[in-house]
Amino acid sequence: MRILVVEDDTGIAQGLRTNLRQRGYAVDVCDGVALAWAALCAEPFDAVLLDLGLSDGDGSTLLQRLRASSGGSGLPHPDTPVLIMTARDGVQARIAGLDQGADDYLSKPFDMDELEARLRALLRRAVGRAQPVVRHGGIELNPAKRTVQWQGQKVDISPREFAVLRVLMESPGRVLSRRQLEERLYDWDSVVDSNAIEVHIHHLRRKLGSQCIQTMRGVGYFMPQDAP
Amino acid sequence: MSSSRRSLNQRLLLWSLVVLVLLWGCFVALAYYTGVHESDELTDGQLASASALLLNLHTQPPLQAADVTLAPRSDGLLVPPNKHHDYQQPLSVVQWDASGKMRWHIGAAPVPTFDTNEGYANLQLGPQAQHWRSFSRWDDAQAHKIMVLLRLDQRDHLAHDIAGKMAEPGLWLLPVVALVLGWAINRGLRPLHQLSREVEQLDVQGANRLEQRHDWQEFDAVVDSINTLLTRQQQALTRERELANEVAHELRTPLASIVLQAQALGGGLPVAAQAQALDAIRTDALRAGHVLQQLLALARTSRGQWHGTASPVDLAALARTVTADYAQAAWQRQDTLAVQGPEELVIQGHAVLLEMALRNLIENALRHTPTATQIEVQCGTQSDTTTGPWLQVCDDGGRASAAALPPIRPKPVDSLHLGQEIIARVATVHGAQFAAVAALAPFTTCYRLNFPAR
Repeated sequence: MRILVVEDDTGIAQGLRTNLRQRGYAVDVCDGVALAWAALCAEPFDAVLLDLGLSDGDGSTLLQRLRASSGGSGLPHPDTPVLIMTARDGVQARIAGLDQGADDYLSKPFDMDELEARLRALLRRAVGRAQPVVRHGGIELNPAKRTVQWQGQKVDISPREFAVLRVLMESPGRVLSRRQLEERLYDWDSVVDSNAIEVHIHHLRRKLGSQCIQTMRGVGYFMPQDAP
Repeated sequence: MSSSRRSLNQRLLLWSLVVLVLLWGCFVALAYYTGVHESDELTDGQLASASALLLNLHTQPPLQAADVTLAPRSDGLLVPPNKHHDYQQPLSVVQWDASGKMRWHIGAAPVPTFDTNEGYANLQLGPQAQHWRSFSRWDDAQAHKIMVLLRLDQRDHLAHDIAGKMAEPGLWLLPVVALVLGWAINRGLRPLHQLSREVEQLDVQGANRLEQRHDWQEFDAVVDSINTLLTRQQQALTRERELANEVAHELRTPLASIVLQAQALGGGLPVAAQAQALDAIRTDALRAGHVLQQLLALARTSRGQWHGTASPVDLAALARTVTADYAQAAWQRQDTLAVQGPEELVIQGHAVLLEMALRNLIENALRHTPTATQIEVQCGTQSDTTTGPWLQVCDDGGRASAAALPPIRPKPVDSLHLGQEIIARVATVHGAQFAAVAALAPFTTCYRLNFPAR
């Protein structure tokens, strides 16, 4: 999962980046409205963590711009989940933020576990899923506990493999290209080997069965939808 | 609202009733005494009329004059025979000749002693010394004198009866008038009640105001004053809210950073990242500490104890002392820090607060300008007498173009606003004014405290 952190305070931005990476997220940080908009236009993000008081303007302008986006070529998807995190006080600010299109609101300081839980809920809602656990065939993926079970047995899995599996399980039946997977899994700072995705897929097939992830040659990978 | 509280309605009604009762009482009393007086006059006129009539008619004794008898009533008054009207009174008549010999006598009155006087008189007659009102006169030839008499209590009874009938409507009308008055007062005060309701429904937190266009000009001043107060109150609330927002932001940001760094450390980090996280925690803790210090300073300026306990403070000496404390900090930033002002500048004030304000001014200049900035603390007095001493901190932080400036420093640990709020409150305590003023070259920014003239 790839998260865009829009925060102008270096300490918070650095802390969020480190914590989210530790939890398996790909994180990119921008410290202003202009940079964040450019980032949103350039790359697909699964969610945005947005501070309101930014160096070059108010974060709410970015939010309004995002929600007004057509989602066409070179523009971010208007439904990208946005979680506002601000140190501002007062209920009115929260109401205004939510009314402007934010999906959730968190006051600083916050607990990282709470932030991640809210983030998980946002990501879950974004793919239209109410259940916290993702199930596909005999595979059960728990984003909160970061565990995977295969036929009821716990499977040891690396953070990156977990991320690949989660992306594929949350888009059942949809073919994702290697580039699309990379965009969801790696931030700008990451050095990605050309065959990194193939290696992760290979490991997942070995641990969860060769049929769990299908290859569409020349296009990408997908997990077939369960038969109704 | 407690029901035991006094009501303006009731007070107005009470006062109106008191005045009404007094006036009404005077009116009733006047009517009564006028009635008595007029009935007395009427009776006297009746006596005169009867005497004129009888003097001309009865020069001879009337037949069976002595047989006229009067029946006494239960209250002792006499009832004339053949009574046909309530106000018909029993008269007595006595006639004498010129020598004083009684020629005839009619009625119940005892025969009075003869004398030659004419006119009205109050007599006491009979063994029981009853009071009689009399009128006597001589005929034109001075041959006969006639006297018409009426018992005084009979006359007074009539007078009181007439006066009572005149005053009576006033008594039973009083409660009716009081009720109507109460209704009128209630009705008349309706606009005031409506204004009270509007004031009661006002929400100080909200933006609503009293309706400016009232029908009653007497309310204009009240409405204007209330609306002005509301505006000021809401401005003050907005300022407080903004300050609270600012404080929350200043304090929560470093705390959030500390929490995140600590949690990252708990998650296991490489050695270099650990050192970086620890350094960030240390910086943010100091930053939070600085904000707390600002908050405490803000709280100190808000205490009421400062009012009225000022003492002489040498502003010039204070400027030199405080500025000297920042020499190292300025040197590290390659800033130049200087003081310009007279040797001595004494004002009435609070040294602690003034030092706090000056420190904030200097710190703001150090924190919110690029490096290599020229900062100068200046103080002095105006040449004219209308304004008093002043203290200002100027810097050339906004000099030249951005391209020519040294590299941007790390973001300031606090906003300018919190420090300025402290200075503004110190200014308020001293009756001074705090504002940004036009800076003289080479400076680009000046914040000045203008103290009142002594």
